[in-house]
Amino acid sequence: MKILLACSAGMSTSLLVSKMEKVAEEKGLEAEIWAVAQDKVISELPKADVLLIGPQMRFLKKKFEAKAQELNVPVDIIDPVAYGRVNGEAVLDKAMELIEAK
Amino acid sequence: MNKFMEVLEKFLMPVADKLNNNRYLTALRDGFMVALPLIIFGSIFVVIANLPFLDRLIGEETFATYQSALSSASNATLAIMGLFVIIGIGYKLTQSYEGEAIYGGVAALAAFLILTPQVLDGMGGVIPTSSLGAQGMFVGIFTAFFAAELYHFFTKKGFTIKMPEGVPSAVARSFSALVPMTMTLTTFLVVRIIFDITPFESVQDFVYTVVQAPLTALGSGLPATIVAVLLIQLFWFFGLHGQIIVNSVFDPIWYALANENLQAFQAGDALPHIVSKQFIDSFIVGMGGSGMTLAVIIGIFIIGKSRQMKEIGKLGAPAGIFNVNEPIIFGLPIIMNPLVLIPWLLAPVVVAVFTYFTMAAGIVPAPTGVIVPWTTPTIINGALATNSWQGGILQAVNICIVFIIWWPFLRIMDKQFYETERKQQ
Repeated sequence: MKILLACSAGMSTSLLVSKMEKVAEEKGLEAEIWAVAQDKVISELPKADVLLIGPQMRFLKKKFEAKAQELNVPVDIIDPVAYGRVNGEAVLDKAMELIEAK
Repeated sequence: MNKFMEVLEKFLMPVADKLNNNRYLTALRDGFMVALPLIIFGSIFVVIANLPFLDRLIGEETFATYQSALSSASNATLAIMGLFVIIGIGYKLTQSYEGEAIYGGVAALAAFLILTPQVLDGMGGVIPTSSLGAQGMFVGIFTAFFAAELYHFFTKKGFTIKMPEGVPSAVARSFSALVPMTMTLTTFLVVRIIFDITPFESVQDFVYTVVQAPLTALGSGLPATIVAVLLIQLFWFFGLHGQIIVNSVFDPIWYALANENLQAFQAGDALPHIVSKQFIDSFIVGMGGSGMTLAVIIGIFIIGKSRQMKEIGKLGAPAGIFNVNEPIIFGLPIIMNPLVLIPWLLAPVVVAVFTYFTMAAGIVPAPTGVIVPWTTPTIINGALATNSWQGGILQAVNICIVFIIWWPFLRIMDKQFYETERKQQ
């Protein structure tokens, strides 16, 4: 599964990337996870199975929803508590849930 | 209180949406992003060319040679950043309409050059570099918007020369750009001619006098700066990226001010402005991130007794050094936490005022106009921005100020966490 994370500069979401990768590895899941700045989202979106947006940029959801729907990529906002705790497991679970539901 | 917060969030969310997702402001922000690597490149060489004490070390004459040898680096990038921003905006705006972006970029550049006087003191064929940098910033931004819009308009209208099948697509593209480009640039030529006969003489002078000068004068003042800082904090309090939202509006002003400072700095004159891009980026944001949370992290390490507090400190510290502070903002949490609202809003304002007056008094030099990447750690960041060790010291003092303001609130929070943890055991 391919998980795309986005925030303003892709900095704080990249913190989450390494945590999520670690959890995925522990669980023996094959996952490609990467973080980008908001201006790269549209070009990266076709490569992703799911798009998760940092809560501080939650106003981006509306902007990307149309394109994401077209590509059948579910979009959601990362839970603020999980984001603050850099809780890779919670975010990974959420991503898998979204991919399964599509 | 809850009701009030709800109402405020309902108001702030659409504002954030409008400012961040607006087509023009997005093109503006992305346009600056295009110029940023060049701006940083130029900044690096301004710093290297102005290393403190070097003139005393190698002698004034050698130092002058050394400086002029390096000056092309910043003269070709940082000092004329307007050019790159214009191409960037024209490109990104055209791209947002899914047009041939590069043509939008060059249309913007050509339109800007059409509007730019190429005569200086009776000598033809001369464009003063200042009109490509600080002075041309606003006229450049507006020109890029209009040029890309017109180019898109004329393309959409279908005023293109259609090529028969079998013509290579690149050839067809170059022709398809011809008509809209001609019409776009002709429009600007007409504007230029009309302005030539007005008392303003050029669009450059007109936009500078009517728009840029008043806006930058307002933006360089302390009241507007405090409003900007408070807005950043308020947005973040609701978990919205305040910096990116406020920057969409303030960046042209702050960059123009920085460029004016750079001109003076390069010429060895007194710096005209205290507030500029780096005043905000180094002294308000560049101390652990928005809200200067590096001081909060330090506070957590000093007074944190609860497990929760310590864990957040450990999580937030490595990123905090490089001014990324989402773990602290969402983890402590700062968002929607009435307990920290006072220090959250108060500390940056106190620091802004303190920094402003320290610089106004000449104790610490104002930022020189170089642009320091925002992930540069505190103290180094302030020293680079002001080209002085005093800038680094000021940041250290500012951290102490933030720490003192936060201290009682952190204590209360820590105690609450501690009590809860003890009850759970």
